[in-house]
Amino acid sequence: MNTYEVFLKKAGKEPFSHAGSLDAPDDELALAYARETYGRRSEGEQMWVVDRTAVLVGDAINLAMADRDHRHNDGHLVAELRQSDPGHAR
Amino acid sequence: MSPDETAKELVLAFADDELCVGQNHSWWIAVGPFLEEDLAFSSIAQDELGHARALYSLVSNDVDRVAYGRPHSEYRSAHLAELLCHDWTMALARHVLHDLAEEIRWTALLNSSWPELKAVATRALAEEQFHIHHGVSLARRLLSSPDGYTRLAPVLSELAPLGREYFAGSDVGLVASGVLNASLADQERTWMERVEEVFDEFELSIDWGASRPSQGRAGVRSEDFLALHDEMVAVLRIDPLATW
Repeated sequence: MNTYEVFLKKAGKEPFSHAGSLDAPDDELALAYARETYGRRSEGEQMWVVDRTAVLVGDAINLAMADRDHRHNDGHLVAELRQSDPGHAR
Repeated sequence: MSPDETAKELVLAFADDELCVGQNHSWWIAVGPFLEEDLAFSSIAQDELGHARALYSLVSNDVDRVAYGRPHSEYRSAHLAELLCHDWTMALARHVLHDLAEEIRWTALLNSSWPELKAVATRALAEEQFHIHHGVSLARRLLSSPDGYTRLAPVLSELAPLGREYFAGSDVGLVASGVLNASLADQERTWMERVEEVFDEFELSIDWGASRPSQGRAGVRSEDFLALHDEMVAVLRIDPLATW
């Protein structure tokens, strides 16, 4: 048996999202089982089924960006400046 | 029989086949060979019962009564549909043979002059594509392994001739009136060719037999029907007024 990851996309602008995983003996049956396991109540109108061995898995180095708080541009620093010095901000 | 009565008999026989196979498939709920197959097979069972309901509703206003309340001799199911398949190999073989036949039977109704029947056929045929994809893929996968071949090939060969009964019964006047787009004999030939084509590379030795079995269509029930029917009406016997 191989393990597959199933993604479904609803109509409109919704992105594909992970529905779950399943085991199947081959690609053809993986598609059949994906439909019945995750899509039988019309949960999506498009489906991707990916052999898990084809998934590239990121490691810690790929994710080492978490401490860069300047990437979080929520604008609160500018907002504070404007409040403390309204004349300057104008 | 008038053409109308013959058409009703044909629909009733088809409905009985679907009821029996749907009920039989449902035996595998929660005990399928693995989770994904369990879900798929149970879903197919539900589809078959849906087909039965749609067909019964064309010939009766009381679907439950006609499905569960007739004397055994009034059922018209083919014996292959009645077969209790408490062995997975048998269940899979019957599933494939049944659905290959269904595809041909629905196709012969796709341009039926009976509008409601045509609508049911159109809807059912869409589901049939999935049933066949599932059954044929799994059967071919198993036949490709030595162990799977040893187990499945003889069962497929043994059950295949029984499937000829799906094409038994009267179709007199039905092609002329446009209810059927192909005679039962033509459908049967197409089905046998299709079964051989699907399993061509696996060299099954199917002995189709000299004649088409027809006892079930004539009202004679197989040994397995009694247990199957008891299971079907178990809730109804406890509570005749039960509703879903």
